[in-house]
Amino acid sequence: MWLERLQNIDRRVIYTVLLIVLLAPMIKPIGIPLTVNQTTHQVYNLIESLDPNTDIVMIGMDYSVAGAADVHPQAVAVAKHLANRGVKMVMAAFVPDGPMLAERILGILGDRVTYGEDIVNLGYLAGGESAVKKFIDDPANTFARDHRGNPISSLPIMNNIKTIHDFTLIIDFQTGSPGYQDFLRQLPSDGPLYAVGIVTVSVPNVMPYLHSGQFAGLLPGLRGGAEYEVLIGEPGEGAARMDAQSLGHLVIVTFIIVGNVAYFLSKQQEKSRKK
Amino acid sequence: MKRSVPLLIVFIVGSILLATYFFQNPTLDQARALLTNWGVIITAFAVGLASVNILRIHTARIANRRSGWFNSVALIITMFTFIIVGIYSRHNPQNTAAAELFSNLFDYAYSPFSATMYAMLAFYVASASYRAFRMRSFEATLLLAAAVLVMLGNAPIAEQIWTKFPVIGNWLLTVINTTGQRGIAIGVAIGGFATSLRILLGFDRGHLGYGE
Repeated sequence: MWLERLQNIDRRVIYTVLLIVLLAPMIKPIGIPLTVNQTTHQVYNLIESLDPNTDIVMIGMDYSVAGAADVHPQAVAVAKHLANRGVKMVMAAFVPDGPMLAERILGILGDRVTYGEDIVNLGYLAGGESAVKKFIDDPANTFARDHRGNPISSLPIMNNIKTIHDFTLIIDFQTGSPGYQDFLRQLPSDGPLYAVGIVTVSVPNVMPYLHSGQFAGLLPGLRGGAEYEVLIGEPGEGAARMDAQSLGHLVIVTFIIVGNVAYFLSKQQEKSRKK
Repeated sequence: MKRSVPLLIVFIVGSILLATYFFQNPTLDQARALLTNWGVIITAFAVGLASVNILRIHTARIANRRSGWFNSVALIITMFTFIIVGIYSRHNPQNTAAAELFSNLFDYAYSPFSATMYAMLAFYVASASYRAFRMRSFEATLLLAAAVLVMLGNAPIAEQIWTKFPVIGNWLLTVINTTGQRGIAIGVAIGGFATSLRILLGFDRGHLGYGE
C-alpha cells in the first residue's frame, strides 16, 4: 500500500515541498560553495584580454523578461566587468523586452559608466534574422536614434562604429529567437568574436557550436551568471538564487529516486506473489 | 499569373540573397541591403497587422459575450495602455513622467506576470519528471540516469556530496550530448537546404497558401 502511495505522491505535496525548498534559501541564503566552469572562465579571460582604449563590445540584449531570471544575472555581471575595465559597450536588442532590460543594467552600473561615451542602449529592431543581418551589414546607420530618443550622431561612442569589424566581441544574451543561429549564419567569417549567455535549458543544443570554436565563450544559465559574479568578486542575485536552484534540483532528483525505488520494490513484491 | 508572380518574386529575391554569399559585387550588395531593409519593414508591419488581428478577434469575443470575454477586455485595455504610453513617451523624451510610467508598467506589471508564467514551469517539471522518469525499460533507465546525473552535475550542492557529479554531468553534456546534437544539427541543415531549394524553385508552395 505504501509502495503504491510513494509512486503516486499528490502533486500538491510536490509543489509544497518545492516551494519551501526554493523560498527558504532566498530568505536565508546557505552559501553553497560554487566552483567555476571552464566555459565561464573562457568568457572572463576574453573580457580580461580586451584593450579599453581600442576594443568595443556589442551586447545583444536578446532575452525576454520570462527568461530574465536565468540570463539577466549573466548580463549584469558581464556589464559590470566591462565597466570596471573601462571597455565601451553598445547594447542592441532584437527582441522587444531587450531595451527595457538594458535600462535596468544601466541603472545598476550607475556612475561606473557615462551614457553616450562608455555605453549606449540602441533599442529594439523588429525583423528577427533580417534585423540581425541589417545591423551586421551597417551597424552605424541601422538605428537612427537610441532607446532614449537621442540621435545616434550625437553619441560619441557611435563615432567609433562604422562597420561590424569595429566590434572586437559580440556577447549575445538570449532566450530564443533571434539568437545564436541567426548571428552565426549572418556574421562574416572574419568578423568579431561571438560569445553567448543562454538559458540553462538551451545549453545542450549549443554545445556543438562551442566545441567547433564558433562560440568564443558560453555562460550557461543562472549558474553561468553566479559563476561570473564570483569571478569578478561581486556576488549578486545570481549567486543568491543558486542555493535555491541547487536545492530545487536535489528535491526533484529525490522525488525521482523515491518514485523509482517504490516502483522497483512493488515489481519485486508482485513477482514474489506470483511465485 | 496569380501563382507565377509570387513564385517569381520568391525566386528573384532568394537568388539575389544566395548570390551575395558567393560573389562580391557592389550591385548585388546594394540589392541585398535594399531587400534586407524591406524585410525589416515588412516584419514591423506584420507586428502592426498582428495587433489589428488581435483587436478584431477580441472585440468580437466581447461583442458576442463568449466565455472569458472579460479576459479580452483586460487584454485590449492593457494593449492600448502600453501602445499609447509607449508611443507618447518615445516621442516626448523630455516628459520624464511618461517615461517613468512606461518603465513602471514594464517593471511592475508586465515583468512579474511574465516571470510568474515561466516560474510555474519549475513546479510542473518537478511533478512531471517524478511521474515520467520510471525505469520501465532499458531506454527509460538510460534517460533517467542521464537526466539525474546532468541535473546533479549542475547543482553545486551535489558537488559537496560527491565531487565526481560535475565531472560525469559535464562528460554527458560535452561528449554524449554533443555527438547527438551535432547529428541533429547536420540533419536539420541538410533538410533546411533541401526545403529552401524547393521553395526557391517553386516546388514547395505552402508559404503562399497554395498547399503542395
